[in-house]
Amino acid sequence: MEAHFTGIEKIVLALGISITLGSFAYEVWRRLRIVFKGHQYLPVDRFGTRIWRVIREVFLHEKVIKGRFWPGLMHALVFWGFVVFGLVTLDHFAIGFGRPLMSHSVHKLYSYIVIPFSILVLVGILALAYRRFVSRPKALGKISPTSGLVALFIAILMITYLLGETGLSPMAWRINWWIHSLVILVFMFLVPRSKHLHLVLAPLNIFFRPFQQPDHTTVNIDLEGSEDELDSMLADLTRLTKNQVLDVFSCVECGRCIDVCPANRGGGILDPKNHFILDLRQPLLDSGDVDVLGGINVEAGWECTTCQACTEVCPVGNHVEKSDEIRRLEVLVEGKVPQEYQKLFMNLQESGNTEGHTDSPLADRLPTYTPDKEYVLWLGCFARYELDPNFTKSVENFTKILEVANVSYGVLENEHCSGDPANRLGDKLTYTMLREHNMKQLAQARKVVTLCPHCALNLEKEYGKYTEINYSVMHHTQVIEQLMNEGRIEVEKGTDGKVTFHDPCNLSRMLDEVDAPRTAIRASAEEFFELEELGRNTLCCGAGGGLWWKKETQGRTHLVRAEQVVASQADTLITGCNFCFGMMNQGLKPLTPEGRSEIQVKDVADLVAENLVETTTA
Amino acid sequence: MKIAVLVKQVPGAESPLPIHSNQKWVDEDAVAYVMNESDNYALEEALQIKEANSEGEVVVISLGPDRIQKVIREALAKGADRAIHIQIDTVGAIDPLATASHFADALKEENFDLIFSGLQSDDFGMAQTGVIIGEMLGMATASLVMAIETGGGKIKVKRELEAGWFQWVSLSLPASLTIQSGLNTPRYPSLKGIMGAKKKEIKVVTPNPVEANQSLEKIYVPHSDKQTVMIEGSVDQMVEKLIHTFRNDIKVL
Repeated sequence: MEAHFTGIEKIVLALGISITLGSFAYEVWRRLRIVFKGHQYLPVDRFGTRIWRVIREVFLHEKVIKGRFWPGLMHALVFWGFVVFGLVTLDHFAIGFGRPLMSHSVHKLYSYIVIPFSILVLVGILALAYRRFVSRPKALGKISPTSGLVALFIAILMITYLLGETGLSPMAWRINWWIHSLVILVFMFLVPRSKHLHLVLAPLNIFFRPFQQPDHTTVNIDLEGSEDELDSMLADLTRLTKNQVLDVFSCVECGRCIDVCPANRGGGILDPKNHFILDLRQPLLDSGDVDVLGGINVEAGWECTTCQACTEVCPVGNHVEKSDEIRRLEVLVEGKVPQEYQKLFMNLQESGNTEGHTDSPLADRLPTYTPDKEYVLWLGCFARYELDPNFTKSVENFTKILEVANVSYGVLENEHCSGDPANRLGDKLTYTMLREHNMKQLAQARKVVTLCPHCALNLEKEYGKYTEINYSVMHHTQVIEQLMNEGRIEVEKGTDGKVTFHDPCNLSRMLDEVDAPRTAIRASAEEFFELEELGRNTLCCGAGGGLWWKKETQGRTHLVRAEQVVASQADTLITGCNFCFGMMNQGLKPLTPEGRSEIQVKDVADLVAENLVETTTA
Repeated sequence: MKIAVLVKQVPGAESPLPIHSNQKWVDEDAVAYVMNESDNYALEEALQIKEANSEGEVVVISLGPDRIQKVIREALAKGADRAIHIQIDTVGAIDPLATASHFADALKEENFDLIFSGLQSDDFGMAQTGVIIGEMLGMATASLVMAIETGGGKIKVKRELEAGWFQWVSLSLPASLTIQSGLNTPRYPSLKGIMGAKKKEIKVVTPNPVEANQSLEKIYVPHSDKQTVMIEGSVDQMVEKLIHTFRNDIKVL
């Protein structure tokens, strides 16, 4: 398109671009400066994996679409359109200065790509606007005028682009060109001041996202250290890391984290989007510093099951969950701890286990570990002290499997709690004591197997943050899968009716294991089906984050999953975690309608052991 | 306001209680000890009063062998300013009058405005020590205290009566109060508190011998056994014998 802009027009345009870009840069810089005040470094390890993650999550929009299919797809259309429009926009302003980047024919050729995309963007943005302003799902929160403005702008940009390609009269074309330009400039002005900053920060945030889930900073407590050391350690507890600050500014306020939060769904007050992320935004901007954790909502923090569903689902790469940060401040600095947890901590300190018991009949019955044995069988307090007496049978079923496969194992005489509840509830001092005790007990160990994913996570990944680990930890379903693959055990399909599996969050999201239990279940169940929320997107049973020991609770966090299981019409529910096992046993019975037979709750080990083909090896 | 808080170290609710071979007491080596529950509330109440008045002193006092320094440290970590440890071998000591005398001796020079103790200990449950101390030191006393209001050289306390009734009582100072569990929300020792407690003073005193008026003779696990008696004869005879047995042997009728 040949156009002649006057000198005044060019000056106005140059001014407009300078002001907009200047203010854009200033606003972004203002936020990035706060990011750099955060402690720790932005991680760049496993560079290739990070790039691949950006391709999948940014360019392919994997999580955006997976989380909410239709709105996600509409958003993808807008995003892909933006990518295509990058060149068009540069060319658009270049034309204004009389120096088009593309020749007439290239422009024409490129428009064959851009025109369909602009129509798709228009469809996408109108659908999203309809959702936001007409159907209004709860997770989006209050009506945001900026969002309306942005939707309007994008629609105008598309329409003016299309009009520009239709062969308008020179005067009309010029007016149209100016409308398009002004809208871009105002849009650019709005972006850094709103959640639309995610356009800039989300790709960075996805790149820098930590690989571990959950990823909280360690708390190194040295009781022999000086007062100054203690003070600086405690002062650090209220400060965000660089990753965490970047999270806060990247948040796009979509509320997927609210939708998946078990505490929120169970009627609790916890709203991860606001409590863990957005509540920190204004304090960060106001103070220009990262010392903001002191003002976070404490009550909400105690409700969290630390299940990481919020973090898993976040499309802009946020590590959402902050209960660790909240709780450790309450415990270590304030000394404000709910009474039931004080009792729990005292038990852990006095007896080394959650219940304050001294004897474990189960541990007494099992062989003791000696270094000539292959595995340390780590029991965990749940099994050791029979937090659900039915689970004892599951442990015995697992040892039966090991025995059939000729695998040697033994339990530690002096096993203490892995420290999971203390760690998750913020009592890092008690956690330190337990960790140090257990590291001594495990000095000889090479391989550890446990039925408790909470213990598995702590013994390897969480301890590994503090100290070097010389043993490997496997969840028992992983050992079972291995034994099946090696042909050391054989199973046949049993008679458990319709069988389904509840993915424990510590196993699926935190240990990234969703296949091993399924291998075992598929081999030993005739009719296996999946629950709606499965794999890494599972729904927490409600016991995580120390909530097993929480006495009275207003919410129904512990019932939401059980209700889904009842509705699924399953005859047998398989779990891979003792806490899930206990919660489901407690939850299913009262929820099962009269006349329906009771849903059987079994561990993977139960299902496999009951259907073992015991061949006599020659 | 200068407040003394009496804390006692008692076996935890989940602790095993094996009886010592001399049958005079439990085998203390196998016992997991904790702070007596109502003492924990008494300590919290004292700390809150001190914090509300932003002046004063909370002194924690305990009686027993060296092992009790653990609960003393816990109290100091929670915020008590200093401690007095009355060192005494308490095995088999169950005479509240003797116990109260030891405390009264240790406390009388200190001129406390208030002496708090838990309503009763979770091991012996005599519920007398705090009241006797008040009497010995010429203080006003109130038991079963559920709330405290301070001000103007006097205090008002809410006492728990039977059947859901309460009573507000005004007392002059000094006063000795025994505190009921549940009147506040006890805190957890913060890391700074735990570190700071190491530097706080624990004064160890050896008391003058006091003659105890009562002591433990022998402790044992109640003996229970099963007996089976066969009752034979005609129906009438059986009924008659059964009623006789119920009435005279096992005395349930």
